[in-house]
Amino acid sequence: MIEVRFHGRGGQGAVTAVRILASALYLEGKYTQAIPMYGTERRGAPVVAFLRIGESRINERDLVHNPDIVVVLDPLLSRTVPVTDGLKEGGLIVMNFPKPGNEAGIGGRFRLATVDATGIALEALGRPITNTAMLGAFAKASGLVSLESLEKTLLEQWPGRLGEMNLRALRTAYERVTPPVDVSGIQALGKRPQEEIFSRDVSSWRIFKPQLDEGRCVGCRRCYIYCPEVAISMTQGKARVDYSSCKGCGICGEECPTGAISMIQEVL
Amino acid sequence: MSRPIPLHEIGEKEYIDPANQACQGCGGAIVSRLVSKALGDCFVRAEVACCGPAFMNIRAPSIYVEVFEGAGALMTGISRGLKRIGREDVVVLGIIGDGGTVDIGYQGLSAAAERNENILWVCYDNEAYMNTGGQKSGATTPYAATTTTPIGEYSRGKLERRKNVPLLMAMQGAPYVATASVAYPEDLLGKLVHAKGIKGFRYIHVSSPCPTGWGYDPKDTIKVARGMVQSGLWPLYEVSNGILKLNYKPKELKPVREVLKMQGRFRHLTDEEVDRIQGEVDAFWSRLVEKDGGNIF
Amino acid sequence: MRRWEVMVGNKAIAYAAKLARVQFISAYPITPQTSVVEYLAEMVASGELDAEFVNVEGELTAQTAALGASAAGARAFTATSGPGLLYMHHPMHMTSGGRFPVVMAVIHRSVKGMQPDHSDMMAQRDTGWIMLECENSQELLDTGIMAFKIAEDERVRLPTIFAGDGYILSYTAEPVEIPAQEDVDAFLPPYRSKYPLLPGLADEARRVQMEQWGIGQDPQLRWRRQQEAMEAAKMVIREVNEEFYKWFGRRYGNGLVEEYRCEDVEAFIVAMGTIASTARTAIDRLQARGKKIGLVKLKSFRPFPSEEFKRLGAMVKAIGVIDRNISLGSGGITFQEIRSSLYDLDERPRVLGFHAGLCGKEVRVGDIEMICEKTLRAAEGEEVTPLVDWV
Repeated sequence: MIEVRFHGRGGQGAVTAVRILASALYLEGKYTQAIPMYGTERRGAPVVAFLRIGESRINERDLVHNPDIVVVLDPLLSRTVPVTDGLKEGGLIVMNFPKPGNEAGIGGRFRLATVDATGIALEALGRPITNTAMLGAFAKASGLVSLESLEKTLLEQWPGRLGEMNLRALRTAYERVTPPVDVSGIQALGKRPQEEIFSRDVSSWRIFKPQLDEGRCVGCRRCYIYCPEVAISMTQGKARVDYSSCKGCGICGEECPTGAISMIQEVL
Repeated sequence: MSRPIPLHEIGEKEYIDPANQACQGCGGAIVSRLVSKALGDCFVRAEVACCGPAFMNIRAPSIYVEVFEGAGALMTGISRGLKRIGREDVVVLGIIGDGGTVDIGYQGLSAAAERNENILWVCYDNEAYMNTGGQKSGATTPYAATTTTPIGEYSRGKLERRKNVPLLMAMQGAPYVATASVAYPEDLLGKLVHAKGIKGFRYIHVSSPCPTGWGYDPKDTIKVARGMVQSGLWPLYEVSNGILKLNYKPKELKPVREVLKMQGRFRHLTDEEVDRIQGEVDAFWSRLVEKDGGNIF
Repeated sequence: MRRWEVMVGNKAIAYAAKLARVQFISAYPITPQTSVVEYLAEMVASGELDAEFVNVEGELTAQTAALGASAAGARAFTATSGPGLLYMHHPMHMTSGGRFPVVMAVIHRSVKGMQPDHSDMMAQRDTGWIMLECENSQELLDTGIMAFKIAEDERVRLPTIFAGDGYILSYTAEPVEIPAQEDVDAFLPPYRSKYPLLPGLADEARRVQMEQWGIGQDPQLRWRRQQEAMEAAKMVIREVNEEFYKWFGRRYGNGLVEEYRCEDVEAFIVAMGTIASTARTAIDRLQARGKKIGLVKLKSFRPFPSEEFKRLGAMVKAIGVIDRNISLGSGGITFQEIRSSLYDLDERPRVLGFHAGLCGKEVRVGDIEMICEKTLRAAEGEEVTPLVDWV
């Protein structure tokens, strides 16, 4: 049996991704199990979903704790989420990351394949929903499922234009994903502490972040008052962003009357 | 009546912790933050099932009880209990969703208003059961698509009219009733500060758009909320001892079409349906204008 | 000075609440409980009792408001019957889950009609409330006072029901001794919550509140803690029962069960509430005829005194259990729990079940004599059938 863990953020379609994979693999004669992990997590919040692939009906009903493969749908997730926890030695990580695997800050006795799924999704769908691109990358990097089965399942899920758009994301990522590289020599980046009840780092929730042009800030306080997160404070008449509390919703940028705040894509 | 608080007069001190568990661009999270800024540090907060408990960043003592239907009762008990232990100085606040207010919680709400319980009920209205994925509530705007009023060959979305709970509360004789919107923090904070100084049942119903459920980009929460007010879909008014005051009264309302088309839940509307909504909004608005400054009874 | 009055069960309950100086009462009418809240309303109106008296709009609110008042740190009380108790079911879980020591009087009314049986309370069996059953008005008054002391004990912190049968108790008048207020005050000091819902709460209190929310912990822990509190309550109930005796000269068995004429018996019957009262006469008559049968009154239904039944079961050859309830598709509830309590005995007595008094069906002394005789035949080794009977 092969076990897979998907890391994503609410709204990126991790649950849909495991379901599509489960269907595609069943088409190829495998038995599968797609498990969502529901909680009170919201759009943008880190989420996980699991997939089991076997030769006959799978009876285990617990979650996947020692995956063979980890799929990371968002490049920023690994900052706050321990994505390699429990990953088997020699296991595979397929990660949405715009640079080669040895620059992702992930180290250990694993192999790492990367693909710029956010870029591909923005190109193909116009929105940073990366699940279908990551399915393409998964198919190529793991060799567990054929592109044809995935295409067939995808079109059944979304007939018409939406399906075509997702198909493009799937195929592009299949072509562009890097071959897995050995990352056993890489020093892993430290993780920030999580699981605080009242205050948490939500920086991994965002794709875009607000950038303030101090010269244009007139201190009107609109961004400050409309921020749902208390991520903006006023210092000497100017707005200041605390990025660890910012989910990148973009309200501040939208409401700034002088255009002093622009939303830029987060880079690593 | 309330006095709007200019943005530059709003205090710097925060009474909630940075970041929360809500979706990006959550209107309810803005309500939660602004309410605590208006009330300061002498309140306790009652919570029932809704997105609210998931915000999890409020510093004030909170009690979360999974009685969806029981917000009015819970606040009644807390308020009376605090009176008994000599702490009537503490404001008993509920930040309750529209389901817990206008649907399953309505019996308790109405009874608490009847008893004139010394509580402050803030309904943050995202117009559906967003915590469970967006099912229709009695607060949902007509014609909206929700997960239980989907669009299909035999369905054009939500059929029923909104239950107008602020006016119902006013008709019950509550000392202070107001509507507000996250897009108008000056007005909202003014109303909260005013309500804080009143003893008895106070009800503030706040329009809190939900990007996830309404189908718009999170950055547009304030824009959508503002559009609702400017088009008359969400009039801002208050009723103090029976006297109604319109707090936002432009010379001319903007057409509803603009704000409707920003939202995925209205994507299916035909021109006739938009006109029908416009007609209903205009009719209600003209009645509000008629009553403005006068007694609603 | 001795004070007494001939009063109905409902008034005895109101006296218990008054003597306990409850600070919050949520009131909603339902027959046959209604006059409990009417008596309390009069006491508040006349100034005899200084409490928040809230006329709520339904039992769901009655329970939830009592929960809220208790959370704020006030001593809270409510009362209900039958369908009203069913309507409270949801918030009752919250009251016990939040560990709020609300006390509630239940005047039994069947869930299938106006007349009493225990189906209303049994439907709340697993809500995590302590449940104490009474057989006369005096016991209602006394148990009501004890209920607050048990519920508020730091080792327990669980809401508590004290209950009696509708009509048979609620509207039957009998002489009741009324304890002096100053003695009750000494026995039951004012409630001081260690965890009130207030700004500026200490860290420990905050932690307890978080635990009540179930945040950041083993998800089963709240259930486990509550079960531990129920176990602890067995000891606390016995202690409170003894302390009550020292102050007021009355006690109810050991607080959990009461053995009536169980010395040298071959068998005993088990009953709760008013049936236990009637059963005393039946036992007296049978023992006068030389029959070796006694009565065990089950007073604490929750926590269930399994250990007591194991101890008592070892001394006899047969037990007849009278259930004023039924778990449809399964059987008499106390019948099964008592049988289960005996499982670890090397030599188990026969256990017979009897359904009696459901929907208020009259239970007469003769009925109980018949139950006793069947139980005695089983004790003598006779094969008696059926195992479970309707009386």
